Amino acid sequence: MVISPVHYIAVPLLAAFVIPLFAKLNREFVRIIPGIVLLYLSYVSIVLMNQVSSTGTISEVLAGWAPPFGINLVFSAFSGFLASLMTFMGLVIWIYSYRFKKIDDEPALKFYVLFLMLITGAIGIVLTGDIFNLFVFLEIVGISAYSLTSFYRNRDGAEAGFKYLLLGAFASTLILLGIILLYSSIGTLNMADIAQKSHLIPTSLKVSIFILFVVGFGIEAEMFPLNGWAPDAYSQAPGPVGAAFSGIAVKAGMYVIIRLIYTLFDIEGSFQFLIVMGLITTIIAEVSAMKQTNLKRMLAYSSIGQMGIVMVAFGIGTREAIIAGLFLMLNHAIIKGLLFLSSSYLVYNDDNKLISSLSGLGKRLPLVSFLFALGAFAIVGLPPFSGFWSRLYLLLAAADKELIYLIAIILIIAVIEIVYYFRVINKLYFKDIKVKSDDVQKPSINAVISMSILGILIIAIGIYPDLVTSYLGNAADALLDKAGYIENVLVDINN
Amino acid sequence: MKNIIVIALLLVVGFYLVDSFNYIKFGDNRLGAPSDEKTVGAYYLNNTVEKTGVANVITAIIVNYRGFDTLGEVTVLFLATTGLGSILYRRRKEGEHEERVTKESSYLLQTGSKILFPFVILLGIYVFIHGHLTPGGGFQGGAIVATGFLLMLIAYKNFKLGHNQLTWVESLAGITFVSIGMWGLITGGTFLENSFIPKGTLNSLFSGGIIPIIYIAVGFKVAAELTGVLDILLSIKPSKIKK
Repeated sequence: MVISPVHYIAVPLLAAFVIPLFAKLNREFVRIIPGIVLLYLSYVSIVLMNQVSSTGTISEVLAGWAPPFGINLVFSAFSGFLASLMTFMGLVIWIYSYRFKKIDDEPALKFYVLFLMLITGAIGIVLTGDIFNLFVFLEIVGISAYSLTSFYRNRDGAEAGFKYLLLGAFASTLILLGIILLYSSIGTLNMADIAQKSHLIPTSLKVSIFILFVVGFGIEAEMFPLNGWAPDAYSQAPGPVGAAFSGIAVKAGMYVIIRLIYTLFDIEGSFQFLIVMGLITTIIAEVSAMKQTNLKRMLAYSSIGQMGIVMVAFGIGTREAIIAGLFLMLNHAIIKGLLFLSSSYLVYNDDNKLISSLSGLGKRLPLVSFLFALGAFAIVGLPPFSGFWSRLYLLLAAADKELIYLIAIILIIAVIEIVYYFRVINKLYFKDIKVKSDDVQKPSINAVISMSILGILIIAIGIYPDLVTSYLGNAADALLDKAGYIENVLVDINN
Repeated sequence: MKNIIVIALLLVVGFYLVDSFNYIKFGDNRLGAPSDEKTVGAYYLNNTVEKTGVANVITAIIVNYRGFDTLGEVTVLFLATTGLGSILYRRRKEGEHEERVTKESSYLLQTGSKILFPFVILLGIYVFIHGHLTPGGGFQGGAIVATGFLLMLIAYKNFKLGHNQLTWVESLAGITFVSIGMWGLITGGTFLENSFIPKGTLNSLFSGGIIPIIYIAVGFKVAAELTGVLDILLSIKPSKIKK
């Protein structure tokens, strides 16, 4: 059996159906099988990424029907990069949540199935070449995300989950309406075929469809003003799930918006639209983050702000800016992942997750506090951490296009971020110890391993940014090459 | 004031939606002539019977052309059951078992349900076994089977469902679907390729290769999952009934 992109979807689905049966033999299988699947997918990622860099984009036909009649998967340098990133984050978060005490107290079987499906759905969104298939995967991501948000079954969790459910269902309706309009106007669902035929749609109809899609996927990508679900969901969901949302689910929503603008529709002004929405999102989110007293909510707002900056980067639209945007996405995944994972142990026993309760924890939980501080330094963009390079690339890209106001705003935002992150670090290290040593939860060995992997990665990329920049360059080229994308998918039809 | 803004916004959105739908003429032939197909749908209508050996074009689209979507839809249902199970999960104390919310129903309803139940199940199974020949299929047949169980759940307060059996049916059906897909990949084709089972004669029960097998698996899976959802939603903690 040749390794192909469909393994990303088929193997986890098979595992999800098998897990309930194996759970009857031994409960331990529930925890182990997702790890084996994610390890296998990491192997698939490595093989396929090598294949892409040597032979170019892989377009896989499913069920034997060539596109546009069947569904296809596209593993290009761009979508492959995101899929590999999601697999890697999934693996790290799985290591962290293995025997995570709060999850083991609950029905752990459901957690691992839902978690695995969240990753599968997000990878499916990124890989699929069919717009309706994308909708199906969005539903998979959505339904697992709603259930994971209210996994602890307390009052606040239920509220957060319900809020997310309402917004998500609204988003699905809009997207479905958009797909219906699109299909009835050009009679195809294949994304390459749509890209080829989108000039046939009357402009006002095209703009309506585009707005329906952007609003729908904007909810998943945390775009202002559609991100009302995010702070609640991040603060109420179990710690590993928050990291999975910011590292995996949100990336998928952002991918779709990028794909819509770069490949599917040629709409005048959509790049400027992305810059403006990104700026509004990031400014409002960062200012809100300053006011938060709840650590998880602060991280959630910071996450929204970061996604706003990613939107700005893709709105600039040059090759350098796309590299910066992808670098920001990579950094956001690993750094925000580290921050969410470490903060779960910092506020483990505090139901309100208050920043003021962190007083002096730097002495009680030295390693976790150190990793949190490392993440905080990296996310505000201090050298020599990886966050520095992505900010620098973004500023250079903005300077190339002579967008001076953008540079000013990005720098001001960096100052705001420094204020609220350093406030937390100040509490951790320079305040008196309030908590007794019995009250803190020591991290388990696997949690330490997973957080250390992320920490080491942050420092490694910070010192050698060349580790990733060649991949990012290929990915940016693949995204910009619209004609190549269409040709790769529709190879049998056009010849 | 707030209401006026909301109404104005809704009017703007409504105008653009109506405007968009105006581009799509009602009753217009958008498929194009058979020689000049304008849409993917026209291709399906013209080629399905010949290429897949299935009489019901809609089934061919759902299970074969867009079978990957159907696998996703089945997963969505599976996740809905799993998610509901995790949110409504409660730890049972020793000797405590779940009770149904419904009250004891009348003798008339109980007898009627008992007589109807086998026929409802039979109809459901008929619908999904003949999915590739007649209207309906796995999803519809599965839903009919689940309504049969709903009838019993409502009529009999003490009607017990075997959760073990439900899990087995659900998982095995899902595994069947994915394995058939993988088998296509292993034999050198593509995922879900309809090539390794003979297509049979058109319009007979054994026709269409893997299509009827997948649809029967979908039928079992949908039936088991919807029944599971109904059972979860209809059972509540004993202490809450007394209040």
